Amino acid sequence: MSSQHDPFAAKDDERRWRALMTSAQDGDGVAYAELLSDLLPVLHRFVRRKSRNAQDADDVVQEILVSLHTVRQTYDPRRPFTPWLMTIAARRVADAARRRYARGANEIAVDVLPETFQGDETKFEQEASDVAEDLRKALAVLPQSQREAIELIKIRGLSLEEAAEATGKSIGSLKVRVHRAIKAMRQALEQKS
Amino acid sequence: MDDCAPTPPLAHPGWRALVWFGAALCYLGLVVHFVGRRPELFTTIADPRYLAEVAAMFLTSAMAAAGAFCAGCPGRAIWERFAPLPFLLIWIGALAIGCWRDRHIQGFPPFANISTIQTIAAMSIPSALAILSMARRGAPIAPMTTVGLATLAATSMSSAVHRVFIEQSMAGSAGFWPFCAVLLMSGFASLFGRRLLRWTTRDEFVATVQRPS
Repeated sequence: MSSQHDPFAAKDDERRWRALMTSAQDGDGVAYAELLSDLLPVLHRFVRRKSRNAQDADDVVQEILVSLHTVRQTYDPRRPFTPWLMTIAARRVADAARRRYARGANEIAVDVLPETFQGDETKFEQEASDVAEDLRKALAVLPQSQREAIELIKIRGLSLEEAAEATGKSIGSLKVRVHRAIKAMRQALEQKS
Repeated sequence: MDDCAPTPPLAHPGWRALVWFGAALCYLGLVVHFVGRRPELFTTIADPRYLAEVAAMFLTSAMAAAGAFCAGCPGRAIWERFAPLPFLLIWIGALAIGCWRDRHIQGFPPFANISTIQTIAAMSIPSALAILSMARRGAPIAPMTTVGLATLAATSMSSAVHRVFIEQSMAGSAGFWPFCAVLLMSGFASLFGRRLLRWTTRDEFVATVQRPS
């Protein structure tokens, strides 16, 4: 299929992708599936080369494919396909880097934890499962809006911006919800202990 | 692929810009029809500086619209986004000459015309909404640039129409506040670019695909 250094193979790929994309725009699902599976390794290579973080390369490739699908009407069949694809890919890689940076800014890396009693590995299995159960119960009694905020930000690890986008709420209101939820959960756990 | 409905490619950015330009001009023409034009228009238009200023405003608008649509098409040249720049510079030049000429008459800056900012904002809203809804069909490759250029297109056209028909002023420096209004609004709107034009996330995409039709 594609060759990184062979200009003739690259020309062939370009011609083939152009034809497949044009067919996909006409509603040919088979051509579209063929195009996406052709692009998958190319995008994987591109993302690995551009991104320092190889862990979320799969996620970024998926984001690129979703983006390609949602803006496929912007491809002009009279123009080359590869620059169109690579512009989208580069933009999505940059977005992922920005997201990672924003998330990293809110997290503190600690080499040695000051105490180990909260780590699951320091507890007996029963103790760990009791704590998890207590937390689950404390979470379950929270109002829906606060529970959602905790799930998105503290459990799924979304940034405030992403959580605001997902819920349609402002960042300020999410901060307040998380704060109130943690306070309520702390009280619930204190009462329990 | 189940979700592969035919998706005709978008028209050329230049053509889309032309469609928007025509529609916005019709709308502003209607506004002028109801508000009425300035009485001394035909004497004012004889001044080459004034003519250059107004022509540059219209051309800035058309080129900014084309630039906004180009910015939404991945893989297009970056220079296309700077297409309105030469006309913007001509506009600034004509404005500077006008202000220089009028400095003894009104002083500088002519604060009396500051209310034009509101008028231009009000006149721009429908055409700005129209161009933004058209720009949203493109890709959010450069959202801040796209929204900034789209707002520049809408506000500079309103500003041009305002200068030609509505403002009762012979002074060259009367264009100072409309120009500030255009720059302020375009800059402010571009700050919201990322909110207005954003990629569909995976979750949204999955929900769209799974939604029963």
